[in-house]
Amino acid sequence: MQRNDKWGGIMKPLIEFKNVSKEYKMGDRIFYALKDVNFVINEGEMIVILGPSGAGKSTLLNLLGGMDSASSGQILFDDKDLTNFSDNQLTEYRARNIGVVFQFYNLIPTLTAYENVALMKDIEKSALDPKEVLESVGLGEHMHQFPSQLSGGEQQRTSIARALAKNPKLLLCDEPTGALDTETGREVLDLLQKMSRERNRTVVIVTHNSIFADMANRVFRVKNGSISSITENATPISANEVSW
Amino acid sequence: MLFRKLWRDLIQNKTQFISIFLMSFLGMWIFVGMDSEASGAMETSSEYYRECNLADLWLRGNGFSSEEVKQVEEISGVNRAEQRLILDGDVELLGEKYSMETVFLTSNEISAFRLLEGESYKPDEEGIWIEQLFAEAHKLSPGDRLRITIGSLEVNGIIKGIVQHPEYVYYLSAEETMMPNYSNYGVAFLSEVHYPLKSSIVYNQMILDLESEDEEVQSVLKERIEQVIDRDSVVITDRSQCESYQMFDSEISQHTSMGAMFSAVFLLIAVLGIITTMTRLTANQRTQIGTLKALGFSKNVITRHYVSYGFWISLAGSIFGSIVGYITLPKLVFSAFEGSYIMPGLHPVFSDKAFVANALSILISTFVSFLACRKELIDPPAVTLKPAAPKKITHTALEKSRWWLRLSFSTQWNFRDVLRNKVRSMMGIIGVCGCTMLMLCAFGCNDAVVSMLDWMYQDLMTAQSKIIFSEEADYYTIVDYGKEYKGQLIQENAVEFVSEDARETGTLTVLDSGNYMHYQGMKLENISLTSDGIAITYKMAKSLNIGLGDYVKWHIMGEDEWEKTRVTQIYRDPSAQGITMKRETFERLEHSFLPTSLLTNKSVPQSLADRDEIQAVMSVADMRIAFDNSMEVMIIMIASMIMGATILGMIVLYNLGVLSFIEKMREIATLKVLGFKSIKIRGILQKQNIWITSAGIAIGLPAGYGMLVGICTLMPDTMDMVAEVSFPSYIYSVAGTFLVSVIVNAILSGKVRTIDMVDALKGVE
Repeated sequence: MQRNDKWGGIMKPLIEFKNVSKEYKMGDRIFYALKDVNFVINEGEMIVILGPSGAGKSTLLNLLGGMDSASSGQILFDDKDLTNFSDNQLTEYRARNIGVVFQFYNLIPTLTAYENVALMKDIEKSALDPKEVLESVGLGEHMHQFPSQLSGGEQQRTSIARALAKNPKLLLCDEPTGALDTETGREVLDLLQKMSRERNRTVVIVTHNSIFADMANRVFRVKNGSISSITENATPISANEVSW
Repeated sequence: MLFRKLWRDLIQNKTQFISIFLMSFLGMWIFVGMDSEASGAMETSSEYYRECNLADLWLRGNGFSSEEVKQVEEISGVNRAEQRLILDGDVELLGEKYSMETVFLTSNEISAFRLLEGESYKPDEEGIWIEQLFAEAHKLSPGDRLRITIGSLEVNGIIKGIVQHPEYVYYLSAEETMMPNYSNYGVAFLSEVHYPLKSSIVYNQMILDLESEDEEVQSVLKERIEQVIDRDSVVITDRSQCESYQMFDSEISQHTSMGAMFSAVFLLIAVLGIITTMTRLTANQRTQIGTLKALGFSKNVITRHYVSYGFWISLAGSIFGSIVGYITLPKLVFSAFEGSYIMPGLHPVFSDKAFVANALSILISTFVSFLACRKELIDPPAVTLKPAAPKKITHTALEKSRWWLRLSFSTQWNFRDVLRNKVRSMMGIIGVCGCTMLMLCAFGCNDAVVSMLDWMYQDLMTAQSKIIFSEEADYYTIVDYGKEYKGQLIQENAVEFVSEDARETGTLTVLDSGNYMHYQGMKLENISLTSDGIAITYKMAKSLNIGLGDYVKWHIMGEDEWEKTRVTQIYRDPSAQGITMKRETFERLEHSFLPTSLLTNKSVPQSLADRDEIQAVMSVADMRIAFDNSMEVMIIMIASMIMGATILGMIVLYNLGVLSFIEKMREIATLKVLGFKSIKIRGILQKQNIWITSAGIAIGLPAGYGMLVGICTLMPDTMDMVAEVSFPSYIYSVAGTFLVSVIVNAILSGKVRTIDMVDALKGVE
C-alpha cells in the first residue's frame, strides 16, 4: 500500500502489522489484548493511537517498539519479521530504530539530564551530541540538574531528547503529556510535531485523550483489542491550536 | 554513564553497601590477618630450621659412642650424626636459684644455635653460650662469669655468646608444668671440652640430619638405625615428637583453622547482606531496568551493571581488609608470641590461600548479585516496565485460627511482616545469631581458661605447694621431707608409649599414699585409682588410639625395661598427658619407687630451694600467675571476638532496620495519618526487633557452644580443655546482644518522627 505524503511525494512504509495478535493466558481462558490487527505506518508520518484504557493501545506500542513479542501474525520492518526475532535481535532493533517517550519520563534518577541523554552513547556510538539535542528541546540551561530538580515538562523534554539522541526511525510516545499541565503539555506536543514536520521523523503517540486527534496525519482508534477505524487528517492542526 | 549511575546508587544506598563492605572487610581482615600470620610463622620457622639445620631424628639413651655415630652415618640417607650430652643444672644469680639445662656439644652443625652476640662457637674451645631470653632477663652478657651446678659437678666459665636454638623455640622446665616463662630457667651450650670429667663423658643423645624429610623414608631409616644400635633403651623420635617443634606447629595450624572459621561467619553475613540489598535494589529499580531495556541496552550490559555493585563492593572490602589484616593481626599475634616462643625474624606472608580467599569472596559476592538481578531480566521490557505483581499472600494456620483475632494489632502486623519478608528476617536472625555466637564463644574461652586453672589447682591437685627434689636427693632424705611436711610423695617421669598405631611421649605419675591428687573420668566425675592396672589420660588414649582393656607398651626414658600393662581407667588432665598408677602397682611391676616431688599444704619456706637436695619450691599462686601471663594470645583473641561480634551485630541490625524502615515507610506514614503516635509506632517496630533478636539468640547460644567445642578440639594434643560455659557468660552474651540491638534501635527509631506523612504517601515514582 503506497500513499502520497503531505507534500505530494510517494510515501515509504516503515513498519507494517499483518494479522497481529497478542494473547495472554489467564488460567485456562485466553484473553486477547490484540486480535488480527493490520496497518502500515509510513516514514515521516505522525500517528495518534487513540482509545480508552485497556483497549490494547499500550500492547500495540510495546509491539511497535519491540518491547514485547506478538503471539501470531507478522510485524514487518525493513522487510524483516519482528515476530521471529530473538531476544538479542529485538534489543538490537530497539537500540537502532526506536526512541521511546514514557508517560512518567522514566529518567534514571541518579543521572543528570545531560547524563541521561549521554547514556545513549553507551548503546550507539553514533548517538548525537547530548548538549546539542538538549538545546534543541530547549533544555540548554538546566542540563546538569538531576531529574528531581527539573519540572515535569523539563523532565519530559529530557526524555524526548534521550529518545532523539539515537536518531531513531520511529519515535514512540506513551501518553507523553499524561503527567503534565496544559501549557507544558502543549509545549511537548509542539516539540513532537516539529520533529515530525521539520525532520521528517515518524512519530507515534498513544493516548486516551481525543483532543490530540486533530494534530495527527492519521488517527488509529483502538477498541477491545482491534483497530476500529483509521481516519486521515488532510490538514493536521498545529500543537498550538489544540484546544485543551 | 552507567558507571556514574552505579556510583550514585552506591552513595544513595550507602548504609547497605557500607555494611556489605564492612562484612567483606572483616571477613578478609580476619582471614588474611590470621593466614598471613600463620603462613608467615610457618615460613619463618622453616627458614629458621633450615638455616640452623634442625635435627630430623633424635636418639635418646645412654652412652652413644663415636663408633656408633660412624655406623649411623654410614647408613645411606643419613647426612650426619652428632653426639651430645644434656644434663639438668642450676645457676645461682643474685641469691636466686634457676634451673639451667646444660648441653655439651661435640660440634655445632646439626641443630646449630644462632649467635646473636659474642664469639662464635669453636668445638675445642671452652666457654658458655647462653639462651637469649634468660640472658636478657638476668642482664647476662658476653664476658660475664657463670657457674653451673650439675649435681655434684660444677662448671665454671665465661659467657661467650648469646644465642637462640632451634630446639628451644618452646620449652618448659621441670617446674613449669603448663606455660613457659623463660626468665625462670634457661639453656646453656658448651663444648664437650668444657665438661669437667672429659675422659668419662657419656653422651645421652645422638642427633641426625637426614637427606629426606619424607615421613615414610624416615620411618624406614628409623628401623635401620634400630638395627644398627640394638639397644632397647634407645628411643628414636622425630620432629613431630619434638615438643618445641610440635607446639609451634600446632599453634600455627590452630590459628589457621580459627581464622577460617571466623571469616566464614563474616563472609556468610556479607553474602546475606548482598542478597537482601541487591534484591531490594533491583526490585526498586525495576522500572529503571525496564527503561534501560526499552532503550535498547542488552541483557548483558544490564547484568554487568548490576553485578558490578557486588563486585566492586566486595573487591574494595576484600582488598582493604586484606591489607589491614596483613598489617595489623600478625603484628599483634607475633608480639603475643614473644613470651612463649623464641622464633627470630617472624614476618607475615601473603600466601596463595589469601589470594584464593579473596577471589572466592569476590566471586561469591558477584555471583550472588547476579542471582539477585537475574529475576528482573527474564521478562520482556513491556512487563518489566510495569510495577511487579504483588506477592501472593496466603494465610498461615495461625491467621486462620480463632486465636488470631485475640492478638494485638502490633503482634498481627509484625507476624505478617516477618513471614512476608522471609529473607530479611532470616538475615536478621542469622546476624544476631552470629553476634551471640561470637560473644558466647569469647566468654566461653575465658571460662575455659579460668576453669582450666581451677580444674588443675582446685579439683585435681589440692596441695598448696610442690617441692621438687633434685636428682641427688636419695630415697630416705625424700621420705624424711615427706614426714616433715606431712605431704604426699609422687614420682613423675617422662615415658615413651607404643601402641599398634602410634608412638608418643608423655608423663608417668606414681602416687604414694596421700590425698592431694584427684582424678576425674570422661564426664569429669570423680574417680579413685584402682590397683589392678594403670589409668591413662583421655588425650593420650586418643593419640595412641587405645581404649579401656587394651594394653599399652611403655618405658621410662633412659631405662631399658619395657612394660606392657592393661588400661583399666581413663581420666582427664588439662596439661600433662600420660599414665598414672599407685605405688603398689608400680612396685608390682618391679620398679622401685623414687619420688621426685612432694605435695603439701604446710607452708614451705622459699629458702628450702637453696638446699642441694631440693630443685625448686612452687606455690599454687606462682603457678597460676605464670599461667595467666602466658595466656596473652588468648586474651587478644577473646577481645577481637567480642569486638567482631559487636560490629557484626551492629551492622546487621542497623542494615536490617534501615531496610525494613524504607520498605515500611508508606505503611508507617499511613499509621501516622490514622493517628498512631510516633512512640506507639516505635513500639511496633521494636517488637519485631525483639522477636528477631530473641530468635537469633536462641540459635546463637547452642551454636556458640558448638563453636567453643570446636575450638577446644583444636587445642594441641598435650592440652585437654573442657568446653564449659558458666552461667554469667550466658547472661553476658544475651545481655550484650540485646544491648547492641537496643542501641541500634534507638538510633533507628528516631527516624519515625522524621517521616513526612504527605511526602511518603505521594506517588511511588
